[in-house]
Amino acid sequence: MRGTTRKVAVAGISAAALVLAGCGGGGNDGENTDAAAKTGGDITVRGCNPENPLVAGNTSETCGGNVLDVITAKLVKYNVDTAQPEMDIAEKIETTDNQNFTVTLKKGYKFHDGTEVKAKNFVDAWNYTAYGPNAQVSSYFFEPIEGYADLQSEDPDGEEGPQKAPEPKAKEMTGLKVVDDYSFTIKTAEKVANLPIRLGYTAFAPQPDAFFADPKTFGDKPIAAGPYKVDNWTKNAEIKLSKFADYSGEKKGVADTITFKIYQDANAAYADVLAGQLDLTDEIPASAQVDEKYKQDLPDRNIQKPVGVIQTITTAPTKVDPNYGPEIRKAISMAIDRQGIIDAVFNGTREPATGWVSPVVDGYKKDVCGEFCTFDAAKAKEQLAKAGGFKGGKITLSYNADASHKEWTEATCNSIKNALGVECVATPVVDFSTFRTQIRDRKMKGMFRTGWQMDYPSIENFLTPIYATGASSNDGDYANPAFDAKLKEAAAATDTAESNKLYQEAEQMLANDMASIPLWYSTTTAGWSERVTNVKITPFGVPDYASISLK
Amino acid sequence: MTDTIAAGVQPTAPDEVGEARSLGQDAWRALKKNKLFWASVVLIVLFVLMAIWPSLFTNQDPTYGDISRVRQRPSAEHWFGTDGQGYDIYSRTIYGARASIIVGICTSIATLLVGGVIGIIAGFYGGWVDAVVSRITDIFFAIPLLLGGILFMASFPNDANTPYFVIVGKVVLTLTIFGWPSIARLMRSSVLQVKPNEYVLAARALGASPWRIIRSHILPNALAPAIVVATINLGAYIVAEATLSFLGIGLTPPAISWGVAISDALVAIRTYPHILLFPSLFLSLAVLAFIMLGDAVRDAFDPKSR
Repeated sequence: MRGTTRKVAVAGISAAALVLAGCGGGGNDGENTDAAAKTGGDITVRGCNPENPLVAGNTSETCGGNVLDVITAKLVKYNVDTAQPEMDIAEKIETTDNQNFTVTLKKGYKFHDGTEVKAKNFVDAWNYTAYGPNAQVSSYFFEPIEGYADLQSEDPDGEEGPQKAPEPKAKEMTGLKVVDDYSFTIKTAEKVANLPIRLGYTAFAPQPDAFFADPKTFGDKPIAAGPYKVDNWTKNAEIKLSKFADYSGEKKGVADTITFKIYQDANAAYADVLAGQLDLTDEIPASAQVDEKYKQDLPDRNIQKPVGVIQTITTAPTKVDPNYGPEIRKAISMAIDRQGIIDAVFNGTREPATGWVSPVVDGYKKDVCGEFCTFDAAKAKEQLAKAGGFKGGKITLSYNADASHKEWTEATCNSIKNALGVECVATPVVDFSTFRTQIRDRKMKGMFRTGWQMDYPSIENFLTPIYATGASSNDGDYANPAFDAKLKEAAAATDTAESNKLYQEAEQMLANDMASIPLWYSTTTAGWSERVTNVKITPFGVPDYASISLK
Repeated sequence: MTDTIAAGVQPTAPDEVGEARSLGQDAWRALKKNKLFWASVVLIVLFVLMAIWPSLFTNQDPTYGDISRVRQRPSAEHWFGTDGQGYDIYSRTIYGARASIIVGICTSIATLLVGGVIGIIAGFYGGWVDAVVSRITDIFFAIPLLLGGILFMASFPNDANTPYFVIVGKVVLTLTIFGWPSIARLMRSSVLQVKPNEYVLAARALGASPWRIIRSHILPNALAPAIVVATINLGAYIVAEATLSFLGIGLTPPAISWGVAISDALVAIRTYPHILLFPSLFLSLAVLAFIMLGDAVRDAFDPKSR
């Protein structure tokens, strides 16, 4: 779990994103061309221990997600370079009202076991994942589909209690209907502007008949429809993949086999890359990031790319801690020297946030936050005085101590302290789950760190789940009826440009209330050995394993 | 009492004519001539001064971090440079002495008290008391100091609101719990050595109470080895504290400590080794000083080594 509890991992990016790649602090030293590429061969890449068996609907962390990403095929895939969602298993996805969708599949798309991908493989898999008693972690992705609520049931006395949750009302979502072998329809409960974009997420992958026969052991040697298949998974050691000969998609894999070697420690993986024992690590340890040491260690063999992750500071809801009103938040935000912290702590591997939406997604707009996200110690102090000063004694900034957050929270606090003259303490909470529990139970006071990794590349994913009234990740209990109304309006717009514009207007409302304090957008850094070339990173921060080739 | 006995034994010592001297006085004379002793005393006085009055050495605020001046090399303004948070390493190192010195001295005194009392009881009373106490000592002796410390500190973690002296007190308590058996064993064996002596038998024959015998006869003659070992252990306890802090479970920020500083500096080891060097150097010097002192004291108290 350590440091890998990032949500999800799939490929995806939007055109707007790549324009910004140039700002990604440091740029790409190791831009590769296909010239030297050669097909075949065996490569090894850094992996980590999957939390769960490899089941598409039950994996939300990167360790398992990275593997699933390369072995599964979905209706839609995201182009690594041009960033647009493209049809993969789907022939077309049609809608006229953003609520009723018809999906038509390509004929003859094959699973690893030779069976054909049919409409029922999708519908059954989605119903299985959404069905409450199956306890699949990606269940919430199906929330927009009509009838989702009937598949859930509340445990009357909580998870710990002796009583069992009653059987849900239904086993299948009413919004999913198989028309024939190669087409099915989706009806959502409310209008959703970006459903086709969402369908590229791993949770939406189809499952073969073999899965439903025995879902329990399936995850040890999963069968999917992607360019690679799992040969062998030696627990705690390695996961071996080989090229799927009958892969039906357009972009076939390059290397013959890909072995995910499981490491506990980024330093060890990095040392192995230096020694030529490992071909690729997607995690550069902090010790090699100081002064961009990795660029000396791996000249022309490293890449840095912005990914769809934003880090923010959220303040406790007013009823929990009344000392952090919107005007105070603005003062605190102006007191944070984002660029300084990025340079000092992250060695330039982040990009200062100027809004609440990551630049890699479609609909991103620059400078939404404006002067309130620009460091100015004098103005910050003025703003604090205007807001009536800070009345809570000292500012606290809580973080989970099981990942590397200590350095930046301490630096952020020092920046606030030096600018505002108010004592600020970075407060560790023992681990991620305790940290989240305190936030969820609304027991955490003061400020705390929050981060969001996009589930799918859309501006909507950075607004609705985090700032809509009562939303699942609305940790600061932000509530603004005008904002909610705007989100609804945007979801109903059938034209993407129009919808994005409405979402941008909604984002602007966040700036007026300073719903949370945006800090920075993340980038992923990877390094590789002398043996391989053609390494690309998707906007989710995952290497595009299928295109890596030997020199 | 000791005085008279010592005087009675040594009136004809060839090189020492004149007044009678106690074991303590004897040791002091030996120590005064020992250069190692003075070197360690100077170092220790310096470190103790740092611990009590750090502002005597630096006027910089060790908690003022400025991200615009991170990882600077040593300069006239920042003698030891600055670390990854823009803290002045020199002032952090000076202020870090307090934690180490408090932990070292308090733990040594505490283990000496606990181990001493238990050792004397076991050695003096013997019989079943000795058997029970010795077995308990063995049990604690079997738990490695560091392992026990990690278990204890991980079970009772600190949070940001824990006051400084509670954090330090916890480390002292942990090290004492797992550190006393060595002193207790030593004390017991040295009591057993002293107990059969004629002057003890004489005191007993004259009807002295056990408390009086221990206080006036046994303790003064049996304490020397325990003091020596406690002094040497002091250095070891400072190292143990730094180790626990390095692992993130001893002293925790915002407490400033060498162990924490070393742990934080690891990230920059390949690029800015000076961040690691200075706290490590001070830690080594402090440990060295106390171990040298222990050595000198042992030489002085142990007539056989002369």
